[in-house]
Amino acid sequence: MKQVWIIFQTEVLDNIRDTRSLIIGVFFSALFGPIMMGGLLLMIGSSFRKDLEKPLTLPVQNPEYAPTLIRFLESHDVITVPAPADPETAVKVGDVDVVLVIPEKFSEEFSSSKPATVQLVLDSSRQTSMVNILRIQTLLDGYNAYLGKLRLVVRGINPEVTDVIAIDKVDVATPQTRVMMLLSMLPYFIIFGVFSSSSSIIIDSTAGERERKSLEPLLINPVPRRVFVFGKILSSFPFSIANLALTLIGFGLVFNVIPLEKYLGMQLGLNVTTLIWIFLICLPVIYLASAIQIVVASFARTPKEAGNYLPFIALIPSLPGLALAFFPVKSNLWLMLIPTFGQQLLINQLLRLEPISAWNIITSVLATLLVSVLFTWLGILLYKREQVMFRGG
Amino acid sequence: MIEVQNLSKSFGKVNAVQNVSFSAANGQITGLLGPNGAGKSTTLRMLYTLLKPNSGLARIDGFDISQSPIEVQTRIGVLSDAQGIYERLTTRENIRYFGQLHGMSDQELEKRMAELIVMLDMHSIADRRTKGFSTGERLKVAIARALVHDPGNVLLDEPTNGLDVKSTRAMRQFIRKLRDDGKCVILTSHIMQEVVALCDQIVIISNGGVAAQGTPDELLQKTGKDNLEDAFIEIIGTDEGLA
Repeated sequence: MKQVWIIFQTEVLDNIRDTRSLIIGVFFSALFGPIMMGGLLLMIGSSFRKDLEKPLTLPVQNPEYAPTLIRFLESHDVITVPAPADPETAVKVGDVDVVLVIPEKFSEEFSSSKPATVQLVLDSSRQTSMVNILRIQTLLDGYNAYLGKLRLVVRGINPEVTDVIAIDKVDVATPQTRVMMLLSMLPYFIIFGVFSSSSSIIIDSTAGERERKSLEPLLINPVPRRVFVFGKILSSFPFSIANLALTLIGFGLVFNVIPLEKYLGMQLGLNVTTLIWIFLICLPVIYLASAIQIVVASFARTPKEAGNYLPFIALIPSLPGLALAFFPVKSNLWLMLIPTFGQQLLINQLLRLEPISAWNIITSVLATLLVSVLFTWLGILLYKREQVMFRGG
Repeated sequence: MIEVQNLSKSFGKVNAVQNVSFSAANGQITGLLGPNGAGKSTTLRMLYTLLKPNSGLARIDGFDISQSPIEVQTRIGVLSDAQGIYERLTTRENIRYFGQLHGMSDQELEKRMAELIVMLDMHSIADRRTKGFSTGERLKVAIARALVHDPGNVLLDEPTNGLDVKSTRAMRQFIRKLRDDGKCVILTSHIMQEVVALCDQIVIISNGGVAAQGTPDELLQKTGKDNLEDAFIEIIGTDEGLA
């Protein structure tokens, strides 16, 4: 135990003196997430507001064929402008979001009460256009329903017969859950930060030692290999913990100091208690990150080679979090068994101010610790091999 | 005291060391001489426990290198080919790290460090971070750190490799001092001059095996030559890889 402490102390001292790596590995990587998120939120927030406030400008081809439709649109805050010569190309290259094309047959079909075709040229893959596209679609649906009912009335039929179901939308999204889509990125940044901050320390103390030819003299000391592995894993903890704390403080500042609610029209609930819970929930991930990386670094011949692997290692556990941003998943007990994914679900629940089951937390912590212990054990096996010293040497 | 019996080691199909046997007594310098790639370093690495022999055994002060590696490690001081030191730590911190890992108390450690600093003339560099040290200065730190626990057996892998004339002389003097202090010193070298100048016992290693061993006089007698260099070449069969 005392030897673990000696190795820990020396490694920490050595790394603290490596100021440049420290600044990049701990401080910069900690602030990267909050700054990115803050910027993203500001951008998306302001674009949402802009789109909704502005009257919608809609390029229309052949407005003269459908004067009543045009009047209907104009009465609903739509400014119609002449369409570009080639609507499809204009939409494809992004000059305009959407173009309404009225075919020549429109008035003929319209007067004979056949379905009159209009074309909406749009690019559904362009996220930024969706607000405008949805608005115009809703207006067209409205016009369709309005005129259809008028026709029934003219024919002496109660227009309500066409209303098979009446949809009454109850939006349960609180202001917080609406921002959740954006906030779902947050666990990703947190987990990634933990992995990347421990990686520079672990690379330096394993592959780095081998390259500097100090590993061999170190291992000749009368110390069991497991002690080296424990000491080196532990030595990354202070840095990862600092990184995690800084990341969370950064997010706290971004969400509480920058007036995001002004842009989004909503208040975000990232308070100190939530941050502390996130911090505690992520502590086992720190161990996991170091243990995985010490295993990977033992294969690598040089820090450069290790540096090639480790970003991927940091990325893999973060992927579920990224997926979470697009496909919200309900927290199940068995999902808690997946290290890093369980934590990301828990962070999401915390941010949504949902009740969290103690079992989920306990399962997530224990599962992560168990996997970390397995990696540590694997690390010890690898460090007992002869090749650990002489790879590439 | 180091005894080696039929030690063998192979890497894949390559037999790096085959049936090497010799013994090295306390108060003597035993040299493993052989061309580059003959298996000297591999033999030494097995002795300092970083490589496991495929067969044969070796004992250091009676402790088996395979059975009791930790006991062996407490009894050896090693200057290997890898002499990396921690550049962000000072000379003292480098030495202290290894001393602590050997379980030395703070008091013992400070006393021993003071001795080593005098012995290796390191006053001016004792409290400087080792980044930017010259080769000679680095070597001193590496030696001090290897000997901080005052081991009875000292293993040196090509100790004068890459040193200038002045440092080489200092190193040789230091090795002789270790012998005079009663240590069991083993060194490897591919430099005939060095072995001639230093060693009480010579083990000539060629192609992974022991080609001959004995005192310089015994080797001269055995080959009927009148100088050691000729004797070495006679025994190995070629001067390739020697200097």
